[in-house]
Amino acid sequence: MRDSPRRRPFWYLQRGPDRVAAEIDEELRGHLEMRAAELRARGLSADAAMREAVRQFGDLDETRQYCREQDEQLEARVRRSLIVEELLHDLRISLRGLLRAPVMTVAIVATVGLGIGATTVIFGAIDAALLRPLPYAEPRSLVRIYTDSAPNRFPFSVADYLALTAQQTQFAQIAAYASRPMVFSDGTIAERLRARSVSWNYFDALGIHLAAGRGFEEADARRGAAPAAIVSDNFWQQRLGGRPDALGATIRLDGVGHTVVGILPRATGPLEATQDVFVAAHWDPPPRKGPFFLTVVGRLRSGAARSAAAEELRAINRRIFPIWKASYQDDRATWSMIDLDAFIVGDVGTIAGLALTAVVLVWLIACGNASSLLIARVTSRRRELAVRAALGASRTRVVRYLLAESVLLAIGASAVGVAIAAAGIDLVRSVGAGYFPRSAEIALDGPVLWVLAALTAASALLFGLVPAVHGSGGPVEEALRSSGRGSTGGVAARRLRRALVAAQFAIATPLLIVAGLLLVSLNELSGVDLGFDTRNLLSGSIQLPMTQYADAGQQATFWSELQRRTVALPGVAGAALADSRPPADVNNYNNFDLEDFPAASGQSQPVTPWIAVTPEYFGVFGLTLLEGRLLEERDATRTDLQPIVVDRAWARRFFPNGGAVGKRLRSGGCTTCPWTVVVGVVSDVKYAGLDKPDKGSVYQPLAPQAMSRFLIVRTRADAARVLPLVRQTIHELDAGVPLSAAATMEELIDQSLQRPRSLSVLVGAFAAVALILSLVGIYGVMAYYVQQHAKDISIRLALGGRRRDVLQLIVGQGMRVVSIGVAVGLLTAVATTRLIATLLFGVNAADTRIFAAVSVVLMTVALLACLLPAQRATRAQPAAVLREE
Amino acid sequence: MATAPPLPIVQGTLDLLILSVLAPGPMHGYGVATAVHQRTEGDLAIPDAALYQALHRLERQDLVDAEWAASDNNRRARYYTLTRAGRARLRAETANWRRYARAVEAVLAGA
Repeated sequence: MRDSPRRRPFWYLQRGPDRVAAEIDEELRGHLEMRAAELRARGLSADAAMREAVRQFGDLDETRQYCREQDEQLEARVRRSLIVEELLHDLRISLRGLLRAPVMTVAIVATVGLGIGATTVIFGAIDAALLRPLPYAEPRSLVRIYTDSAPNRFPFSVADYLALTAQQTQFAQIAAYASRPMVFSDGTIAERLRARSVSWNYFDALGIHLAAGRGFEEADARRGAAPAAIVSDNFWQQRLGGRPDALGATIRLDGVGHTVVGILPRATGPLEATQDVFVAAHWDPPPRKGPFFLTVVGRLRSGAARSAAAEELRAINRRIFPIWKASYQDDRATWSMIDLDAFIVGDVGTIAGLALTAVVLVWLIACGNASSLLIARVTSRRRELAVRAALGASRTRVVRYLLAESVLLAIGASAVGVAIAAAGIDLVRSVGAGYFPRSAEIALDGPVLWVLAALTAASALLFGLVPAVHGSGGPVEEALRSSGRGSTGGVAARRLRRALVAAQFAIATPLLIVAGLLLVSLNELSGVDLGFDTRNLLSGSIQLPMTQYADAGQQATFWSELQRRTVALPGVAGAALADSRPPADVNNYNNFDLEDFPAASGQSQPVTPWIAVTPEYFGVFGLTLLEGRLLEERDATRTDLQPIVVDRAWARRFFPNGGAVGKRLRSGGCTTCPWTVVVGVVSDVKYAGLDKPDKGSVYQPLAPQAMSRFLIVRTRADAARVLPLVRQTIHELDAGVPLSAAATMEELIDQSLQRPRSLSVLVGAFAAVALILSLVGIYGVMAYYVQQHAKDISIRLALGGRRRDVLQLIVGQGMRVVSIGVAVGLLTAVATTRLIATLLFGVNAADTRIFAAVSVVLMTVALLACLLPAQRATRAQPAAVLREE
Repeated sequence: MATAPPLPIVQGTLDLLILSVLAPGPMHGYGVATAVHQRTEGDLAIPDAALYQALHRLERQDLVDAEWAASDNNRRARYYTLTRAGRARLRAETANWRRYARAVEAVLAGA
């Protein structure tokens, strides 16, 4: 635009308001003097000439004022454009400077980028799980309603649900659903679906808009109505080819043709996320209060107070309690509600908190490291900066110049962070389902991007401001005169770097301790004795299609034939059927009342896993009979009493003095049923999960007829190789019957270890990064220290100082810093590790062995990091070093 | 030296006069005033107050640039130079003025 002499160099002093006024005055005075001189030349006296000059000039004050305004506007504009120009200039210079130190630049960008990226991913997961409103209409008014029998929350029964819908006044809608596995077959394949029967108003109550078709209507729920199904987007794509004409098509579920009336959108709410198919339920008024299998969701009437709704729930429960007294005695249980989002989030808080803390700490350490490196860089450039200051650059100007480097580094780090975040979010979305609710909703958008931006800005400030303020401080002359060493700036820089390194160790220590605790937990978990030989054991779930097997005789025939054929397979040592399997698939928990020790009125009865098995089960698992006898074939059909076998933990829990065999109890709250009698005691098996204490289990005979069973096979060799044969056998028996969740016992154990394993891998990896960064930090400080003191060291050695003493002196310097950091870290760990106690297994949160081991490891590697530069310094030839200076 | 009192400056021509006086090279405010006075043999005289206000306004508009320098008699003075934008403006305003003057002439000639 304009050729501009106004493009001033960066140290050009800008004109403030005073300067502007002074310049105008000087200019106008100059004018008046020239005019007066001219008048004097024409013969006026000096006084008269000046008076005449002023008179001719006109309004002097107004002119001065006007010019001042014009100039100040100009100055302001120039200042603004200068700032932009200077910024670009700074960035250019900084980029060049950073490229000259590629190792430091890459180290900072990579580590801080990792911190930013990882924090963003974890925040994304937390955002999706905890912060984002549920993707339903007006999610704040949605609650889950349950039977509250602290500490347990039980689902509703049909009796509860019907009473609630009939009597409530505070809810606009009440919906309920129950999981109902269904078999889908299209002639060639049979597959067990994750299906739900839902109250017909379910989609309407949650405000779910279907992608195509309609929701259920009241008519769909009437008995005898034409079967209708609503399918998930995934099912539609996978099984119905994603064709639009799938709407209205008929699919076979449990052998019955269902008309597809609706298709869910691809993005669903968390309640529907893992489901394939929905059917409308018709729940008839039941003869007794149980069973309890309905999850109930309510939408509060607009304007309804939560307290009023909660009070109404309690009141309805009190009202119907007497009606069901015969089949339900727990008068302490009441009805409660919880916000639906809180119900979905569950107890993810601890894991989320731990993961977020770990990544934020690593990010902080990375910033500390970067700061430390930059301080070293600034210290060695004090002279350059002092020259700039001497040339007139203001302090803010120098700070800005140094911040430009930080900004560039932060931009680089955020680029790395975005890449890591994008990859990490993909990863968490695909594998995170087991850890975070709503992981499918994780996305790099909205608040997550803001956090990313904030992290980037905070990074730049965190690692940039300290060195910048630091680098610009101190008297100019002194910095110019001194060569860096021994100057006050040098000492302050050293202190600052040491403080940063100590902080790094203080952060790394608790991280390493937590990682250690998690690893020990994992080790303990994988070492848990399940109570049987886990090798060569195969199991899978089999579900019969309901219509073809409506007849109990057909069911019984299928199961006995399946067992007979399986045992006959080559490589099979034995086969059994059960409704549960270790280590974490319990079908049924049952309450019971011991004849000898009945529960007091109003007290909850004891509850244990209740496992229905065929007699071969004990042999297949190789359980030891300790007392009495095992279950027999005829036990399944007895009507005079119900024989059960208990395990040792059960026997010890209820009959610590022995003699459990022959004891009688009433099971399932049924007071009119025949007695249940303990006929034997066997060795323990873990059913409720590896990490749960073994509180005893009960085995009852498996009924000959059932819709769903686990087939459990003991093989002679590799179980995985027998699996195809078993699959084949089932297929030959009935091609319409699917085998699902088939796995060897080792695989099942592996699956149940997956969650603790990935948590310890995550925390362990970040602890390792923290450790490495801390070591880099202390190494950097020590290397710099010996470099600065090379002369002193050489003089000491030249004067006959012992090498060992010098080494000790140097290493002692570093280890003091490390010890302070580790000590602070240990204190922090003592105060905080109990927060993750729920994630630990078989190890105390304050386990002294781990605290000690981590301290020793940290101190040892830190010692090495200090020793390396120290040794290098003492090995140098004193004469050579002294000549150099 | 003219004997008649100077004419008042026609509205809008002040900037044009200043820009045109600055066209040959840098000059301080007093120099501009003197130059206008001399070139018109005293027919036109810019009031000093108006001159300085105009100079600073032109500077703010980026039409002129200012720089302190020593004057002929070794006095520090603020010298004004035309910027590229100032030259462009001068060309445009000159052309405008000529058209205006011709038009006025034409009207007067017809009277």
